[in-house]
Amino acid sequence: MGVTEHISKQFEADLDTTRTRVLQMGGLVEAQILAAIQAFATGDAALVAQVIENDARVNGYEVAIDGACNHIVVKRQPAASDLRLIMAISKIVTDLERIGDEAEKIARMSKRIHEQGAHHAQRFPAIRHAAQIAVKNLRQALDAFARLDAASAAEVLKEDSAIDDEFRSVLRQLITYMMEDPRTISASLDTVWVAKAIERIGDHAKNIAEQVIYIVKGTDVRHTSFADIERELSKE
Amino acid sequence: MSLTNASNATTAPRPMIQTAVRDASADETLPVADLKPKLRVSKLNFYYGGFHALKNVTLDIAERKVTAFIGPSGCGKSTLLRTFNRMYSLYPEQRAEGEILMDGENLITTKQDVSLIRARIGMVFQKPTPFPMSIYDNIAFGVRLFERLSRREMDERVESALGRAALWNEVKDKLSQSGQSLSGGQQQRLCIARGIAIKPEVLLLDEPCSALDPISTAKVEELIHELKSDYTVVIVTHNMQQAARVSDYTAYMYLGELIEYDITDTIFITPKKSQTEDYITGRFG
Amino acid sequence: MSAAEQVPSAIHSGNRLYRERKRTNFILLVISGVAIGFGLFWLVWILGTLLYEGGHALARATLYYQMTPPPGADGGLANAIAGSLVMVAAGTLIGTPVGILAGTYLAEYGRHGWLAGATRFLNDVLLSAPSIVIGLFVYSVYVAKVKHFSAWAGALALAMIVVPVVVRTTDDMLKLVPNTLREAAMALGCPVWKMITSITYKAARVGILTGVLLAVARISGETAPLLFTALNNQFWSTNMNAPMANLPVVIFQFAMSPYEDWHRLAWGGAALITLAVLVLNILARALFRKSD
Repeated sequence: MGVTEHISKQFEADLDTTRTRVLQMGGLVEAQILAAIQAFATGDAALVAQVIENDARVNGYEVAIDGACNHIVVKRQPAASDLRLIMAISKIVTDLERIGDEAEKIARMSKRIHEQGAHHAQRFPAIRHAAQIAVKNLRQALDAFARLDAASAAEVLKEDSAIDDEFRSVLRQLITYMMEDPRTISASLDTVWVAKAIERIGDHAKNIAEQVIYIVKGTDVRHTSFADIERELSKE
Repeated sequence: MSLTNASNATTAPRPMIQTAVRDASADETLPVADLKPKLRVSKLNFYYGGFHALKNVTLDIAERKVTAFIGPSGCGKSTLLRTFNRMYSLYPEQRAEGEILMDGENLITTKQDVSLIRARIGMVFQKPTPFPMSIYDNIAFGVRLFERLSRREMDERVESALGRAALWNEVKDKLSQSGQSLSGGQQQRLCIARGIAIKPEVLLLDEPCSALDPISTAKVEELIHELKSDYTVVIVTHNMQQAARVSDYTAYMYLGELIEYDITDTIFITPKKSQTEDYITGRFG
Repeated sequence: MSAAEQVPSAIHSGNRLYRERKRTNFILLVISGVAIGFGLFWLVWILGTLLYEGGHALARATLYYQMTPPPGADGGLANAIAGSLVMVAAGTLIGTPVGILAGTYLAEYGRHGWLAGATRFLNDVLLSAPSIVIGLFVYSVYVAKVKHFSAWAGALALAMIVVPVVVRTTDDMLKLVPNTLREAAMALGCPVWKMITSITYKAARVGILTGVLLAVARISGETAPLLFTALNNQFWSTNMNAPMANLPVVIFQFAMSPYEDWHRLAWGGAALITLAVLVLNILARALFRKSD
């Protein structure tokens, strides 16, 4: 981003406000995941209700930020880094909104799992581990967005494969579990959905990190191998 | 589609796939390093008396493409444009050094008569400049300088030039009226028609829309897009969005220096120099 | 912001500066009005006197077809009117091309050289030179050499008055043509002479024509240069090599005389010239306004 400010103070303020809103939305979404995972572990019905209720706020953020982007495009015809920022924000909020949906899904599943048999969820530390990585990745992606740090964003891309590994390990465990005791199939399938949701959160965090790299470097790193990305980032 | 008549069918939009194929072949905007040059400017320096207005400018202008020069006032973009047709030769205190090659000939040092250079490199100015004569004669004036045409051939030339400038339908019934009676936008299109009537190879546009309303501007921009199939177009503009809309290549200039020259999309989405970035995002100054 | 809001606005009708300004405006308006009245008063008086004294003579048809009479006889100004027309026409025809070409040089070719500056300065000197000087000059270099007065000498003297006027207006009018028009013509590959004859002359033609008309108006009333060159002639003459009658000199001669009927003819001639000049001025003005 430019070192100097825009001549138009209003433009500068509009961009700042929008950027801040994205970070606020990110913070809310992160809290949603943590609450959902907590609900998965404890079966706390109040927490589940809270997550479902808060998703409306997430959706509200998405609509408001998209509106702000449209406003800036119409009013300022942004170019270069401003254009990339606005385009990226418009995509980032979509990812954040989807993460919010995944969090809601985890919360709903947790409720069902706990209704069927309380102790099931606790047997899968791998799920909680994957969730921790996903939350960490999301936080790092948002942090990279706040500081426009492409190198930090690139680390998120690398970390994403760890979540995928955890997801496969959970899947293997669940299959074994279901084969041993067919009565748990129903609860196990719900747990698969939770694991899948966490894996999706990781993917969305990765998308956000890719957008950060696009803002900073101007290179579209989607659908690119990590080796190529690293080569691209080392160029100056 | 089968219900539409023949004339409609020819104007119907082509299928997407054809457009895609066409984009990939002849119309492709090659990187600056590989473009097919019409004009090759190298180490060009320009002086207004003691003032050094262009400093070592080197760039290639692509054939049959639109190249835009942008930059803040006084950056030398108009000066650069006016070196291409030796307009500066009208003023004894202005001089240029360096090379502007067209077809291998240096336009600055050539022994060729400047009139011939100017006929090959047309120019349209910021303010519409219709001559004090009829619309018809405005077009015919330039043609008569180099060609002796029969009445019928001249009529055809005038019609085709006005047609290309998207003005024919508006003026065909009043060709004998004064060119100065037209509206500002029409006058500017008349000037473009006058420029293309003598069939130049390059067309220089010096802020052609700065005195026009948005509708006239849109018409001129559309015209520029049409013209590039036959002409090499170079446009100076203060309006960055206009440069982004009409040009294939964009050069950003500042204080007489060429700061960055690249494919227009690259300049406006991912410029390499922070100076360019600051200017096009409005952080300048 | 808030501090500024607390200060009461100075913009109200009781403001002292505002009232002083209004008073000054009123005083200047009165002074200007008086000055205009003063100027118009004399003008109206002159025109009124001319029409009052000369109107009778103007209305008589004999003024236009009878020759200038000897004292006491009946007559008109036919030979003087014709002589004036011939010499003014000849003077204009000689002076206009020279003036236009010189003006063209100043505005188009000589812009950047020292010659144009010098020429322009000398032309301005000539423009304000007293016409009697020009009459004496032509007398000494032409009339004195050929040893007789002639209509040619008169036309030459008038031409020398036309030239600086036309040079000045041509120069000014061509300079008013926007430079972009020149550049536009040059950008088509047009040579300079073609650009001047087809573009800038056309753009400036009304202004140049106005200058010529004003020059004609100026010379049609000149007495001094003709007194030393064309002199006068009692009879109808079409010989350009001989003295020729003309209105200003006839007016001068008749007005100086003690004869009442000559006085009447002088008044008639004076009214005629004044009206002709008035018409030319109005024509020039109308022409110039139409072009805007």
